[in-house]
Amino acid sequence: MKLNDRVQNDIVILEPKGKIMGGPDASLLHDKLHDYIEQDMKKVIIDLGKVDWMNSTGLGILISGLTTIRNNNGELKLANLTNKVQSLLTITKLVSVFEAYDSIDEAIESFK
Amino acid sequence: MEKPKIIDNTIMIPSSQDFLPDVDVFLEGVLRGLGVDESTIADIAISVSELVNNAIFHGNKTTRGKTITVEINKVNGSVKIAVTDEGGGFDLDEVENPIDDNNLMKEVGRGLFIVKSLMDSVDKNTTGTGTTVVITKDI
Repeated sequence: MKLNDRVQNDIVILEPKGKIMGGPDASLLHDKLHDYIEQDMKKVIIDLGKVDWMNSTGLGILISGLTTIRNNNGELKLANLTNKVQSLLTITKLVSVFEAYDSIDEAIESFK
Repeated sequence: MEKPKIIDNTIMIPSSQDFLPDVDVFLEGVLRGLGVDESTIADIAISVSELVNNAIFHGNKTTRGKTITVEINKVNGSVKIAVTDEGGGFDLDEVENPIDDNNLMKEVGRGLFIVKSLMDSVDKNTTGTGTTVVITKDI
């Protein structure tokens, strides 16, 4: 898995690419996400448009990020869910936990 | 064993998440060769990754020197995949329900639930030398 990240105004946008299955690559996403939260960034969007699939480790990373940022009075949102990721979130009922948008722009707009 | 080893339709890896991609590449290659569609390949790959992670952490207690074996077979109209570790086994049903409201925000505990949701059958067998979980998916 590769990871691109950028900050647009005060919003962090993380773009993992590939498969999130565990191991060092998954740790990369986890650590980057938590680094930004520790820098007191309160708005995070994870663009999942280039994630082929993820397993429960990937879901755990998303939940960990969501919990931590909410404890810091922030919010984490998802964008561009692929069919496979959407399916997994539905199976695990996490679709009721995360706000998800069809595009980065819509996710950014939702923070206003 | 320090590196993955492939023999026919079987891959063996040391108990480390470093080798998850090796299992995935091997598995997906075999499935494509069997003509499995991409969506089903993804479901199987997700499930196998869950089982391999469980084998690493729970079966082999992250002991790198212990081996995990993944064997893939086509049986009639199904694919049958066996993931074997050197551990003493577990109860397939003795896992908290991850979609219970009390468990929804937990960071762990979804692996087997996902496997059972995506696969057509999940069975387990424990012997004196280890535990094998067999998943089946119609193709």
